[in-house]
Amino acid sequence: MTTPALKVNNLSVWFETGSGRLTVVDRISFSINAGDATGLVGESGCGKTMTAMAILGLLPASGVNVRSDGIELDGRDISTLSLAQRRAILGRDIAMVFQQPATALDPVFTMGQQIGAVYRRHTGGSKQQVRNKMLEALESVGFSQVEDIASSYPHELSGGMRQLAMIAMATVCKPAVIIADEPTTALDNRTRALILEQLKQLQELHQTAVLFISHDLSVVRQICRDVMVMYCGRLLEITDCQSLFANARHPYSAGLLSCIPQISNKRPAPIKSIPGQIPAPADLPSGCHFAPRCTRAEDQCRTSVPELDYANGRGVACFRPL
Amino acid sequence: MNMSDQINTLPLLEVRDLSVSFNQQEQIAVDRVSLNIPAGRTLGLVGASGAGKSSVGRAILRLVKPDSGKIFFKGKNIYRMNKQEMKATRQRIQLVFQDPSVSLSPRRTVEQTLLEPLQHFAIGDANHQREKIRQIIQTVGLGQSALHRYPHQFSSGQQQRIAIARALVTNPDLLIADEAVSSLDVSIQAQILQLIQMLQKDFGISILFISHDLAVIRQIADDVAVMYQGQLLEQSPADQFFSGPSHPYSKTLLSFAQGKTPVHWSGEKWHLERSRKSTGTPSSCVFSDFCPDKMAMCEKQEPAMHDIPFENQHALGPHCVKCHLYDEVNNNDHQEKVF
Repeated sequence: MTTPALKVNNLSVWFETGSGRLTVVDRISFSINAGDATGLVGESGCGKTMTAMAILGLLPASGVNVRSDGIELDGRDISTLSLAQRRAILGRDIAMVFQQPATALDPVFTMGQQIGAVYRRHTGGSKQQVRNKMLEALESVGFSQVEDIASSYPHELSGGMRQLAMIAMATVCKPAVIIADEPTTALDNRTRALILEQLKQLQELHQTAVLFISHDLSVVRQICRDVMVMYCGRLLEITDCQSLFANARHPYSAGLLSCIPQISNKRPAPIKSIPGQIPAPADLPSGCHFAPRCTRAEDQCRTSVPELDYANGRGVACFRPL
Repeated sequence: MNMSDQINTLPLLEVRDLSVSFNQQEQIAVDRVSLNIPAGRTLGLVGASGAGKSSVGRAILRLVKPDSGKIFFKGKNIYRMNKQEMKATRQRIQLVFQDPSVSLSPRRTVEQTLLEPLQHFAIGDANHQREKIRQIIQTVGLGQSALHRYPHQFSSGQQQRIAIARALVTNPDLLIADEAVSSLDVSIQAQILQLIQMLQKDFGISILFISHDLAVIRQIADDVAVMYQGQLLEQSPADQFFSGPSHPYSKTLLSFAQGKTPVHWSGEKWHLERSRKSTGTPSSCVFSDFCPDKMAMCEKQEPAMHDIPFENQHALGPHCVKCHLYDEVNNNDHQEKVF
């Protein structure tokens, strides 16, 4: 069996507060093979970004608790690394594309300087070598006038261009794993299509494993083979995109699917939505966290927690799956 | 723009040859845009970011100063209105912004936020205002307890409901929703779209719905207008648009929205599209650089806006397209080829 590029075992993240423990990521496990893209989907506040930050070890050391039975990068446990060791792998072996390039990029350096810095930090080389690699990275995400982009400051680029430049920054060292956190949210359809296309090309070219975080299943379907549905820190369903779209088994996954507006010739029927909203971490309902919003919930759902149950490669955490 | 014969009644809003520019006319945001919204209908204004959609919305409320053009609201040119008339008009046209976390004042309770427009326009006495607020908060699906809380105590979906309530409290005839659901999760977006659909049905309100997302526009728009680099390239009834748009750019947009990459599209060209610089009189079609159906004429002459004859006699909104392909729209052979 091949070693997965990224393997997360039993990862939990929680805060200790005066009024008790707030769990934001609850014992999640998954793995992604080289060359595969897996989507992590759920509403805002369900713990998607926390999961990413915990994997990368970017959460502050005080105030927040992270525990896992190991986070493996190509078989090597990175959950126990020291700060210096971690710095050596971030950007080189595993990199992140952040949600808001406008705030993730440094406004006082040009794109060329910022991308070059990542490469120099990990690989070194002469000024010319660093510059060539930087231009190569910009070219690989689809820019043709790379010199022009390299000498631009982030504010001189449009939202979509900034996001592409950020992907160039994340891929300049050709990491084995990329975590992309809502990279296309708030971009228009055309720009979104372009960014997904470039990400997909890079992923196939370098056999990168991608963890793609989004609230939008229709975007995830365009780029990922597998998908995980998250709700209140728990994984409710793990399957491949095709099966999920064909027949979602968890009622929450089905609800998310029904929220996607469809384009049709005839005027569509009024859109359906999931009633209610995601509960705050401070007052999570007992049992299945989704039970209060679920039309299929029974007494058992409100008292005991359904665990992820695997059958035929699909995992569903539900007592009454569809 | 010639209006089609089918429309006999005055549109609620008519924008005629509107141009807006920034930086001493160096950057063109809106270039001679004409469109209209019949009463009770929703116009979806679509285009990539930077196409000038928001500037059109803002010009309607006189929040930006146009270079030229006229905007008629209920037949009256808003640029000829005096202060008092404009104030009265602003009561009838309300705006909902993209991000409720910044468009609601963090220091006011929901009640204070909702009360302000009523006091500003002096609508009713204190009792009537309180009653109105109670009604409106219920209409948007929030409980009375919401009134005494602050915006940060709500989720983004609830905040957007409050922003909608603020816009509705003056009983407007026209709502301008500028990317009102774009920053929301799909699940919350679905809830807000449901709310807007309810407002259309129960209040008969007209909406200028600005969005980059055609799937969202399909859900709620009666008519669709497409903007590109400041120009309006097409306006069609929604059913017609989604069963086959007329302009090549609209076709590209629709393929992207359906998750298909158009065959002719080459990703590397896109970065050339920085915002448009003024170059005097346009001598070509704005889309000619990227158009898959480009003809020699497209680079020599700016196309005129052509009315498209209606197949469906019951269609209400105008149907027009700004493209040389439709220069001889009455020529049947040509039409075959185009559609």
